[in-house]
Amino acid sequence: MGLIDYQTVLGRMLREQNRDDYLRGVSLAAGESRYLENLRDTAEFRFYASVQRSWCVGRAMKAAHLTLSLLPQEERERLLDEWIDSGSGAQSFFFVEAEAFLDFIGGHLSDRPCEYTVCQFERATMRASNGANVFVAPDAASLRRPDTCLSRGGYAAVVRFAAAIDQLSNLPGPLADLFSAGLIVMFSPGRAQLWHEPAPEEVDLWEALESPASVRTLLDHGHSLETIERLLDHGAIEYSTVSLSTQ
Amino acid sequence: MCIQDKEVLPANGKPIQPLGVGFPYFAGLPADLYRSGLAAFVEITPETLCRQRTTGSAVEIEIRPDHLATAQQTCAGLPVVVHGVELSIGSAHGLNNAYLNMLDSFQKEWPFLWHSEHLGFQTIAGDNDSTLEIGVPLPMPATVEAVELVAERSAAILERYDVPFLLENPAHYFSELPTDPEIGNEYRFLSAFTQKSGCYLLLDLHNLYCNAVNHHFDARDVINTLPLDRVIEIHVAGGSWRDGFWMDAHDGRVPEPVWELLEYVLPIAPNVAGVVFELLEEHATRLGVSAIENELRRAWQIWNLSHGAN
Repeated sequence: MGLIDYQTVLGRMLREQNRDDYLRGVSLAAGESRYLENLRDTAEFRFYASVQRSWCVGRAMKAAHLTLSLLPQEERERLLDEWIDSGSGAQSFFFVEAEAFLDFIGGHLSDRPCEYTVCQFERATMRASNGANVFVAPDAASLRRPDTCLSRGGYAAVVRFAAAIDQLSNLPGPLADLFSAGLIVMFSPGRAQLWHEPAPEEVDLWEALESPASVRTLLDHGHSLETIERLLDHGAIEYSTVSLSTQ
Repeated sequence: MCIQDKEVLPANGKPIQPLGVGFPYFAGLPADLYRSGLAAFVEITPETLCRQRTTGSAVEIEIRPDHLATAQQTCAGLPVVVHGVELSIGSAHGLNNAYLNMLDSFQKEWPFLWHSEHLGFQTIAGDNDSTLEIGVPLPMPATVEAVELVAERSAAILERYDVPFLLENPAHYFSELPTDPEIGNEYRFLSAFTQKSGCYLLLDLHNLYCNAVNHHFDARDVINTLPLDRVIEIHVAGGSWRDGFWMDAHDGRVPEPVWELLEYVLPIAPNVAGVVFELLEEHATRLGVSAIENELRRAWQIWNLSHGAN
């Protein structure tokens, strides 16, 4: 049996435990296929499968403690199963796994504004924390060139705790308080605490950069250079590499 | 602690000084542990000091300068060896070049005496040239193709870093692996690997113990077949039962039979330069410094006995 075929089939059998087409695209003799099929029925393979799955669950749960804690156990387990059955959960680098899993959960919470917001909050915390390790405040000198293009920071986010009162009943007290207060939080990798409550003009600038824009455009629309400099310094916004020639 | 003053076999023309007992670097443990004299050297898993950055299909493993600086400060000048986990040297579709690129940078920042990896594979090819993580490390089949693949890659790694490169015998839970008669079994794989590659072995006694318990053989019989003159480092560790298997969990103290294996092998493995007590970080903090120190003292007792010290 060729090494690559053996590894491909064995790897698929563990990654895709609910699929039966793990022999697809490989060329094995009948005896080799039988060996791998028989292997799948052994206690030792089931042990491997159980360990693999539990490690994947552990990685995912570590990534989304807060969000998962808000979901009923049945839904939590269903989401984890779906995530792992798709072949995910096996990455060893935490931030990569964490962001992908939080994106996945967020995609399933579109009709649950509170839980979705908490998911965005957890993701924003993770992202800013990851960014803080590498963030270096850029030189603001380029802002003097009107054509300089700006965009939202890659490690930044704004999270709005907005929900109707009747949607708060399932939330723990401290989280419900955030929604009741209508809190808006801006995450920036360059801030010591990673977050702050943004001033209205900072929120306006963030909104204006839903897509990249030039300094000239931003100034023309009434955003101040001081606000632009401040958010740039904290990494909430950044110099963009996107060309604006078509705008 | 006593350190033997003879040198072990030359590796790449450079003799390796026996170090004694070492311990992995964990950022979460008190720095005093690394300054207590109980660790003669530190084993670093560089990936724990790194972050992964993905740009399109390109993956990069970057060293985090802040983590590196903390580790260097904590280890306070102790000799360092590297024990990687991300290489996947046995993956037929390709090993992890991002790991090697990172190790290039790491070696410049913090030179190491030798480095090691696990004999096995943990990735397979996905669609469109992507790499898929399996989620658990898997053992290599004992085939000619597998030996040649691993030996060729290891020889290139030996040349690239100019320090000894060691592969660790894995714990695994399959009672039978595909085997070519020319190789014989997974342990003869190790002999063939060292002969073909010029590389060395990290003999993990707990992995061997796991396999012996789960697959019902005598670990000493296997030790007697290994090329012990190629063993430069030894691991001892703890494990636990799960679903009827003794698992290589690195979750606690070293079982007595593993200490006995260390007592058995040290006098007959002439070139061992270091013994490391392995733990996972989450279990290290739970186990506590005092218990860790006791395990290190036990390792030193056995080391000193086999090296003729008091």
